Amino acid sequence: MKRFFITLFIMLSAGFILTGQSSDPLVSKCVMNTGADAKYLKDFRIQLSKAPSAGEMRYKTQMSLWKNTKYKFSMCTADDSPGELILTLKNDANQVVLSSFDSKTGKTYKSIEFTCNRSGIYQLNYDFKDGQQGSGVGVVSMVK
Amino acid sequence: MKGRLLFLLIVLLPAIFSCRNSASNNSQFVFPEADSIPIGEEEKLSTEAIEEIARNISSPVEIANLLQTLAVPFSQAYLASSIDPNKQSTSFDKAFTLGVLGADLGYLNMYEKTGSSIDILSSIRKLAEGIRVGQFFDFETIKRLSLNKSNLDSLLFLSIDSYTQIDKYLRDNDRGQLSALMIIGVWIEAQYLATQVMTEYPDPILRDRIGEQKIILNDLIMLANPYCNRDPEFGELCKDLQDIKQKYREIRITYTLGEPVSREVDGALVVEQTETSNVEMTDEQLAGIIEITKTVRNKLIANN
Repeated sequence: MKRFFITLFIMLSAGFILTGQSSDPLVSKCVMNTGADAKYLKDFRIQLSKAPSAGEMRYKTQMSLWKNTKYKFSMCTADDSPGELILTLKNDANQVVLSSFDSKTGKTYKSIEFTCNRSGIYQLNYDFKDGQQGSGVGVVSMVK
Repeated sequence: MKGRLLFLLIVLLPAIFSCRNSASNNSQFVFPEADSIPIGEEEKLSTEAIEEIARNISSPVEIANLLQTLAVPFSQAYLASSIDPNKQSTSFDKAFTLGVLGADLGYLNMYEKTGSSIDILSSIRKLAEGIRVGQFFDFETIKRLSLNKSNLDSLLFLSIDSYTQIDKYLRDNDRGQLSALMIIGVWIEAQYLATQVMTEYPDPILRDRIGEQKIILNDLIMLANPYCNRDPEFGELCKDLQDIKQKYREIRITYTLGEPVSREVDGALVVEQTETSNVEMTDEQLAGIIEITKTVRNKLIANN
C-alpha cells in the first residue's frame, strides 16, 4: 500500500509539472531550448504540406522589432518532419534583413541572433526547405 | 481486482491533471455570449489583420527588459497594483484592466518581484473569470513558477501564452471588443511605465522607444475603430487614443540605410543591422506625450 501511494505521488507530480508547459510539446521543447540568456516573446506553429512549386515562402506573419534590442530567432523542426524549417526576415520596406538558409552554401541555421537598429514592423516568412512538407515552431526571444 | 483498480487510478489521474489546459477541454465549454457582437457589426478588419495588429503591439516584457538594460531600479509606484478587481463592474473595465495588469505582471516577472506578482495574479484571475476566460490562465502553475525564480523563461512563456490564448478566444467568439480593450490596456500601461521612468531616469534610448511608438499607434487605433460607436465608454477611449495620436503628430522617424552584417559564431548566425531608425522629437513633444499618457491611464483606472 505504501508503494502505491509513493507511485501515485510521483505520477501526480509528473502531471502537475506537465501543466506548466504548452499543450504542444514541440513548442515547449523549442521555448525551453532557446538558451538561458533568452527571454521568450512569441512563437509561431507552422505546419505546411508540400508546395506545388518552389517559390515564395508560404507562412507569413509580422511583429514589431525595436531598436537597441537583440533578438533570437529559433527554428525547431519536428522529428518526423520531412522538411526543415527556415526563416526569412524582411523590413517594412520589403528588404531581406536575414535568412536562416544560405542559398550559396546550402547551409541552414537553427538559430539567428539579430541586433535590431531600426524599429518597425517586420515580416517573418517561414517555410520548409525546398518547399517540402513539414511541421515546426519558430520562437522569437530577446537576448541580453 | 483491487490491483487493477489501483493501476487504473495511477494511470488515469496524471492524465486528467496534465490535460487541464488542453484545447479539447476548452472546446467543450460553452459560454453564454451576452457581450458578443454579431460579426456584421465589426468593420472590415479581417481576423488575420486583427491578429497581426495584436502581434505588432510591443510586448510589455520588452519595455521591462529595456529598463533593466538601462539599470533602472524597480519601483512599485509605477504599477496599478491598487486596482480592486471587485470594483470592475463592466466587461469594458474588466478587459481593459486585464490588459493593464498583464503589463504590470510582465514588469514584475522581469524584475523577479514574486511577492507582488502573486497579488496581481489574484486580481488577474478574478478579472479573467469575470469575462469568462479564466480557463486559459493556469494561475496555480504561474504562481508556482513565480515563486521559483530559476524558471523565468517558463513563467514568461506561460504568462504571455495565456494572454495570447485569451485574446484568440475572445476574437474567435465574436468578443473582439474585449480583445481590443485588453491589448489597448497592455499598451497604455507599458507606455505609462516607460514615460514615468523617463521623468525620473531620462535616457536617450528610452526617449527613442517612447517616440517610436508612433509606428504602432495607428494600428492600435485601427483595432479600436470598429467599436468606437458601440457605447459611451468605448467612444471615450477612442477619443483618448486620438488625443495621444495628436501628441505624436509632429514627431518624425527617419531612416539611415545600410546593409546588414552577418557572421557565424559557434555554428549560429549573428546578424547586426547597420540600417538605423532615428526619432526627431523635441522636449516639449516628449513632455506632451508623458502628460497625455498619464492623464489617459489614470482616468481609465480611476474607478478604483
